[in-house]
Amino acid sequence: MEAKSASSTHEVILEVENVSKSFPGVKALDGVSFDLRRGEVHALVGENGAGKSTLMKILSGVYQPDDGIIRYKGKPVTFSDVTQARKAGIAIIYQELNLIPHLSVAANIFIGREPLTRFGTLDEKRMNADAVAMLARLNVALDPTIKLNQLPVSKQQMVEIAKAISFDSEVLIMDEPTSALTESEINELFRIIHTLRDQGVAIIYISHRLDELKHIVDRISIFRDGRSVSTDDYTAISMGEIVNRMVGRKLENKFPPKQNVPTTEKILEVRHIVRTGVLHDISFDLYRGEILGIAGLMGAGRSELGRAIFGADPIDSGEVLMNGHKLSLRSPADAIKAGIAYLSENRKEEGLAVKMTLAENVTMANVLEICRRFGVLSRGQEIEVTQRYVKSLNIRTPRLTQIVNNLSGGNQQKVVVAKWLFCDSKILIFDEPTRGIDVGTKYAIYELIGALAREGRGVIMISSDLPEILGLTDRVLVLHEGKLAATLTTAQTTQEEILNYAAGVA
Amino acid sequence: MSEMPTEPIEKARPESLEKAGKSGLALDRFITFAAVIVLFTFFSLTARNFFTMRSILSLALQTSTITLMGIGVTFVIITGGIDLSIGSVVAFSGTIAVIAARAGLPIWLSMVIGLCVGVVIGLLNGLMITRLKLPPFIATLGTMMVTRGVALTITNANAWPAPQDFGKLGNGTVFGTGPQFPGIPYPVLIMIAVALIFGFILSRTRLGRYTYAIGSNQEAARLSGIKVNQVKMINYVFCGLLSALVGIILASRMVTSQPNSATGYEMNAIASAVIGGTSLMGGVGTVGGTVIGSFIIGILTVGLTMAGANYFMQQIVIGLVVIGAVTVDQLRGRK
Repeated sequence: MEAKSASSTHEVILEVENVSKSFPGVKALDGVSFDLRRGEVHALVGENGAGKSTLMKILSGVYQPDDGIIRYKGKPVTFSDVTQARKAGIAIIYQELNLIPHLSVAANIFIGREPLTRFGTLDEKRMNADAVAMLARLNVALDPTIKLNQLPVSKQQMVEIAKAISFDSEVLIMDEPTSALTESEINELFRIIHTLRDQGVAIIYISHRLDELKHIVDRISIFRDGRSVSTDDYTAISMGEIVNRMVGRKLENKFPPKQNVPTTEKILEVRHIVRTGVLHDISFDLYRGEILGIAGLMGAGRSELGRAIFGADPIDSGEVLMNGHKLSLRSPADAIKAGIAYLSENRKEEGLAVKMTLAENVTMANVLEICRRFGVLSRGQEIEVTQRYVKSLNIRTPRLTQIVNNLSGGNQQKVVVAKWLFCDSKILIFDEPTRGIDVGTKYAIYELIGALAREGRGVIMISSDLPEILGLTDRVLVLHEGKLAATLTTAQTTQEEILNYAAGVA
Repeated sequence: MSEMPTEPIEKARPESLEKAGKSGLALDRFITFAAVIVLFTFFSLTARNFFTMRSILSLALQTSTITLMGIGVTFVIITGGIDLSIGSVVAFSGTIAVIAARAGLPIWLSMVIGLCVGVVIGLLNGLMITRLKLPPFIATLGTMMVTRGVALTITNANAWPAPQDFGKLGNGTVFGTGPQFPGIPYPVLIMIAVALIFGFILSRTRLGRYTYAIGSNQEAARLSGIKVNQVKMINYVFCGLLSALVGIILASRMVTSQPNSATGYEMNAIASAVIGGTSLMGGVGTVGGTVIGSFIIGILTVGLTMAGANYFMQQIVIGLVVIGAVTVDQLRGRK
């Protein structure tokens, strides 16, 4: 893993010179320059809105630059659409995979250019053989006839990578490729990235998870506010310096100082919860003012445990007591009434009504509070409430009636937080609260979680980000295959210990 | 593509510009409303007798049925569903009301029974969709056929006359001053009242808010504590109730039970919702839009008839308007 730049020939394959791009009301890119060499993994980092995505969309032909030159293999190029870029050998893999769940692995790889027999029917045999060959290039063995929706996300991503390189791509852009993967899957992905790099493919790697860069990156470019700040060999720059350049100011710590002091008063008691095949006899307590982490590998049942307490999924047996009283948890409506909130890990799918306005989303779980008699809404009250949260959470929006879909990821997450703050929940379950959001917003969310616990609420934080668990929580539950593997005191544990329990080797 | 607009917002200050937020919507409404005015002026100039009080009232009367059904189906479409059974409900509920009246029940009571028929069918649709998890298209396609079949079976496909007084609701008017101004027909008043009430429910109440939330993101709505099944049930009941209301108005206008009536009305009702900006994907639509949509269809029908175009011609024009309206919507959304 440490043999970096071994195959980097220093030959520049792609060069971006002074590229600018404006959209109505904003300059997304302001004279950006950047170069990519054959056989290197080049990280591109920056906060949300720094212009990374815009540049990637220009390179892959989605947008055209207003100004500046892009040289590909030494010649100036302009791609008027994605097909042209792909034909030239530039492929992009988005965070959300572009695959068809009901089709087979092979069908997904060759969609739109399926090999045909002489009779004009699909040549399944050849397609499957070619798919196997393509996957073999990644050192991945996968049955090409299996349906996509029967594969875990990590394997689906490998199919996406195989599809990308099947166009004989020489430049591969990966946008947040690890956001849905577990530790071991990430290692597998890194192995594949190395394989491709050694074959001479140039890889642009975009990620918010700075700690993972050290395993794969050769060079790193930092963007801020639509400008390119710097490009360095990865070994020549410290993590602290990267973060400083990203935010443009000094960020002393990744985590805010501890604000909360857990009490000994039980606010939530979970007793023998069983959901057949998913959760096996899980019991734990949550104390007033405590931040309790839930760690575990993907599929260990972390989210499922949160959802069970919230009544989002039915449980087969067990009970949950809040302040000593047994709760009826047949639906989220019951849990919300009792004072429990659940911030889902999938913001867009489960947390927000993205076609509705910011204000409508903030009040969604507690509409009753802004109603006059007979369920008639008070718009004035709604605006007042929303205004309050926009201010206190520093949500950046041009107006309170902005459609949520048009907000950035970090601001969307704040809207979800506002929704549950407005419910005045006593217990808040955060499921991956910082996935895919930038460093600045992350810090704000950490501060908020601390403040909520300090006010005497109970916070459960489900996270696959171990530094986050260690930096924030008071205790950690580690799940392994649906069972509670360990309950650890955060101050006395280490990343290694948690991982050992999570992997079932401790 | 969706990320682009986020960047200007990042830099904007959170000063409230409430009115600007709805300006896009207001413009949409203005465009469709302008279409009504343009059509109206066009037919006033080309078709003789179009712009007379008598024909305006008759236009409103004719359009009231589609408007009422359109309002009901708008609620269902906003939740992401569809109701194909409403045309059959019109025929069935009218038939039952006439049968009840013929059996000697008071007129008002037989009409209430007719409305109850609509409520029950709405409940059945809702139960199939929320409990049996059937796709709304399939569930209501089934009730559409069953309901029509039952109506035809019990009447043997015959139209039966109703008692004289049964006709008052459909044929009566108020504020009439003689031949110059024959008065406003009751169905038109009912349409106005229903549009106001249901417009208020959709835009200003908790139920309306939940309706949009479910259509916009059902899972997020459920996880926000919204009782999704309950809200959906209420919406299908609304839809059945308003269709039954149309059934009674139509039966009253004819003073007969018409088990064959209202065939294909469900499509006109859906078309008026769609022309009015309701999205079949759910989450988007207004009562006001649907009223305008049904009047566009109404003006085209009456206007084309008076201009001498036959029924087949009208079908062609209305079909093109549906396609055109949604195309314009798509093109605007793409920007």
